[in-house]
Amino acid sequence: MKRKVLSVFLTAAMAVGMLAGCGSSASTASGSQSASTEAVTASSTETASVTSETSATAATGDTDPQMKKKIKILSIWAEDNDNGVLINQICNDYKKVNPNFDYEYEYVASDDLKQKIATLAASNDLPDVFVYESGKPIVDLINADQIVDISDVLKKYNCADYIEPSAESLLTTLSQTDDLYDLPLGLNIEGFWYNKALFQKAGVEVPSTWDEFDSALKKLKDAGIQPLACGGADKWGATRLINAYTVRTLGPDAMKKAADGDAKYTDAGYVAAAQKLQDWANAGYFGQGVTTVDMNTAGTMLMTGKAAMFYNGSWFTSNLNDTSANAAGADGIGFFNIPVQDESISGADSYSMNCGNILCLGKAKYDDATGWFVKYFVEHMGDTAMTVQGSVKGYTYTADTSKATGYTQLVLQEMAKAKSSFTWYEATMGSEVSTVAQENVQSLLNGDMSAQDYMKSIQDASDSQAE
Amino acid sequence: MNALKAEKIAKGTLIRIFIFLLCIVEIYPIFWMITASLKQQSEWTLKPAYALNSGFYFKNYVDAWTRGNMAVFFKNSLINTFVALFFIVIFAVTVGFAVTKMQWQGRDAVARYFQLGIMVPVVTALIPLFQIYNKMHLINTRTSLILAYIAFGLSLSIYLITGYLRSLPDEIMEAAVIDGCGIYKLMWYVVIPLMKNGIITVLVLQFFFKWNDLIFSMTFISDSSLKTVQTGLLYFQDEFGGKNWGAIFASVTMSVLPLLVIYLILNKAIIEGMTAGAVKG
Amino acid sequence: MKKVLGNKGAVAWFVLPALILYTAIVFVPIVWSFYYSLFSGSPGLKWKFCGMKNYFLLFKDKNFLDALIVNGKYIAIVMVGQVGLGLLLALMFMFWLKKCKSLVRTLVFFPVVLPTVAVGELFAKIYEIQPNYGLLNSVLDSLGFHNLVQAWLGQASTALGCLCFMDIWVAMGFYSVIFYGALLDIPYDIIEAAKIDGCSGFNLFRYVLSPLLKPITVVACVFSFSGTVKMFESATALTGGGPGNATKSLSMYMYEVAFSYNKVGYASVLALVIFLICIGGSSIIGLFDKSSKEDN
Repeated sequence: MKRKVLSVFLTAAMAVGMLAGCGSSASTASGSQSASTEAVTASSTETASVTSETSATAATGDTDPQMKKKIKILSIWAEDNDNGVLINQICNDYKKVNPNFDYEYEYVASDDLKQKIATLAASNDLPDVFVYESGKPIVDLINADQIVDISDVLKKYNCADYIEPSAESLLTTLSQTDDLYDLPLGLNIEGFWYNKALFQKAGVEVPSTWDEFDSALKKLKDAGIQPLACGGADKWGATRLINAYTVRTLGPDAMKKAADGDAKYTDAGYVAAAQKLQDWANAGYFGQGVTTVDMNTAGTMLMTGKAAMFYNGSWFTSNLNDTSANAAGADGIGFFNIPVQDESISGADSYSMNCGNILCLGKAKYDDATGWFVKYFVEHMGDTAMTVQGSVKGYTYTADTSKATGYTQLVLQEMAKAKSSFTWYEATMGSEVSTVAQENVQSLLNGDMSAQDYMKSIQDASDSQAE
Repeated sequence: MNALKAEKIAKGTLIRIFIFLLCIVEIYPIFWMITASLKQQSEWTLKPAYALNSGFYFKNYVDAWTRGNMAVFFKNSLINTFVALFFIVIFAVTVGFAVTKMQWQGRDAVARYFQLGIMVPVVTALIPLFQIYNKMHLINTRTSLILAYIAFGLSLSIYLITGYLRSLPDEIMEAAVIDGCGIYKLMWYVVIPLMKNGIITVLVLQFFFKWNDLIFSMTFISDSSLKTVQTGLLYFQDEFGGKNWGAIFASVTMSVLPLLVIYLILNKAIIEGMTAGAVKG
Repeated sequence: MKKVLGNKGAVAWFVLPALILYTAIVFVPIVWSFYYSLFSGSPGLKWKFCGMKNYFLLFKDKNFLDALIVNGKYIAIVMVGQVGLGLLLALMFMFWLKKCKSLVRTLVFFPVVLPTVAVGELFAKIYEIQPNYGLLNSVLDSLGFHNLVQAWLGQASTALGCLCFMDIWVAMGFYSVIFYGALLDIPYDIIEAAKIDGCSGFNLFRYVLSPLLKPITVVACVFSFSGTVKMFESATALTGGGPGNATKSLSMYMYEVAFSYNKVGYASVLALVIFLICIGGSSIIGLFDKSSKEDN
């Protein structure tokens, strides 16, 4: 496994670049390489040399050679939903540029994505383009030499500048590689959404420190308002809260340290964060039966005034923009970044960020025709996403943002404040460890498991994985 | 005497109330499902789940039909299910007959071998089966699903048919043979008609199993024009766990309706078939 | 007669096609699983021969043990519930129900028709507590049992019970129809004679009906066991295995190991264990079958 110093911090320049839509690719990485990644790099250069022969004629300029190919795209969004709309639109637009191009769009439920990819990878039959998860899952595919080195592709087709440096940095951090192996399908910030009317009713100000946050919880509860909605049934909604507290008290690299063995998950600071979540649950801040509530219901509870706060990412704006679902109206919901404990450990300009699900290219099927498609995709994704959905996907864009809705503007403003970022709770965990962390968080919320035992179960899983 | 009568009436009323409650418990879900399919998204959180729909929000059905692409899925489900059922019945009757009534070496072993399959969990076979299909280029074909449906439906069906056949008196067959029936004629003109109830039981049970299959169609079929109804139900869940409940229940209602209709039409035959000593052990 | 029934060609025609198909699709994969169980990782991902290591792993695996216990409890409760209530309902149809027999039977059988996903969603809403009380909690609340209002699916102590209740509800109609058929087969004079001898109520059942119902009970148990041992869809639909892993069965754990942990090798070991449990369970039930046949 490749080790590199975690570059979770995005530089200020990157954050500016991300919004201004310029700025060169500046993936900084250092560290040592192990044998397995060397093997991957070696074989990927091989492919590169093979393809460069054939592309000698093609690469004369930026004009598409209109190569004939039908590519297969595996996605977790229906054609008329979310990223599914964008991918389909770009494919159809590309058909106009290259009439010989055709594509087949396949949809699987997101719960079944991993199973589908596992069965396809087992028979070396990964599709040309497929949606996958960043972090550990993709590392496995890289090590198995199943996916294409996208940095090579971007360089060859001269379109690397179209990827937001911040997105690139986030993705290479997650895949623990120098090169990019996946394309972003989102650039999201996370934090607390709150119901303004309920805050006003209880006389609560937007909290900026955890102490203020705690007293806000108490005040809301005393006013007869459920302070927090949380999708405990979807598990990650709860672990994000632990993560939020962990990062602010131990620093943005806390989870990485524990994953690398430089710290133990059972150390006091990690346990304290888990304890915090349990304390909130015990105080009834989440209402009853929080482990049976899914994220969607929790979100609706916020919008319909049944709960005052809800932790979620910027993708939540799509719900907020839906006037039939958002009872709070166009200005009823606000956003604040995760409260701070100590500015020197993790500051208020540091946000939890992710690139959502990502796109990978199956190596076995890759050829120049796919390369040209990728070039078109990368060059047009940013603008298409901004004009069609008013969303930021991790690509540069030139489209006008002034027509975006209030909630979209709100997210863009928050993103502009971001000077650095950190990842989610399970980002550095292998799938077994992450499953344990997610499943047992329900027991933690229920009180069936103490904070100490919860962190121990994660440490145990991590130890057994290392074996 | 009066006390006894009163007791009898009381008992009768109690029984009636109990049976009434039982019926409510059984019928309520359909009713709820239909009301649920007509609710708007916001109703799910604003009002208790058992509340009636506040309006008739037919858009759920439109969503389910257009986005779920239900027409195609229905066609696929029907083709897969019926082709599989056809072969299951044929195989179950022939194999069942061979292992109960015919004389040959190793028939008990074969019977046991088929019986083992009742217990094989579907997930065990999933990955190897995918590999086998992949090598035979059967992935993304109806054949792949139909073959899996037949093979995994055989064990239970043969077991059921065997139970029926055991209770079939040998005399009838003997009479037919004396009248000059060969084995195939015997099968077609004597055994199959007498197996009517058994066949209905198998058909009904297997129809529900195959119609509700999710795991095979999810794994072997990726082409959207070949997907089945149950996979269509998955179209309403997004990346972060959000669910469009109204549309989900609208499509569930649509997927249940054919079952309901078939069940109500065949109800008498089904219940009769099953009570006519379907399972004799 | 012998000649016709001993027709080897016919046997081949009757048995071989089904046998080949069944072997290729049901049994070859099991053997294949055995081969897989000697490898670590997933085919295509870190796939390495590792000998018997996966088998040793089994003995150290606490999750496996937890899933085994959950699955065991589930089998016990649901089998007793489905078969027992099925029998009770059948007796009720037989001796209590005078009018609307077929209507009631039709209704009771109905849940069998519903897709598991739909039933799961339905019961999730019945047990619901947040954001609104579901049916169960509302009823308890309005009857004044405020302390019984709880997150039925949200706590480890009640989640499995709720799941079992759902699966019993779904299938009891099916079993009642099977038992009812068997009851109809019992000649009426036997029951009449027993009644004249002063045998009624429980005694009638204990000494007259139960021996006659034994074969069908064995069949019902086989059905129920083969259904419950595979516990997967209903738990996935209702609880997703949670809270924690309070309702996670062996099959669910196996699926997780294979597809989220990418350890198809170890998952194959788990699959083989499930298979062995199935064989073991069915042969135990088979023992009763044998003894009941000897009784006859």
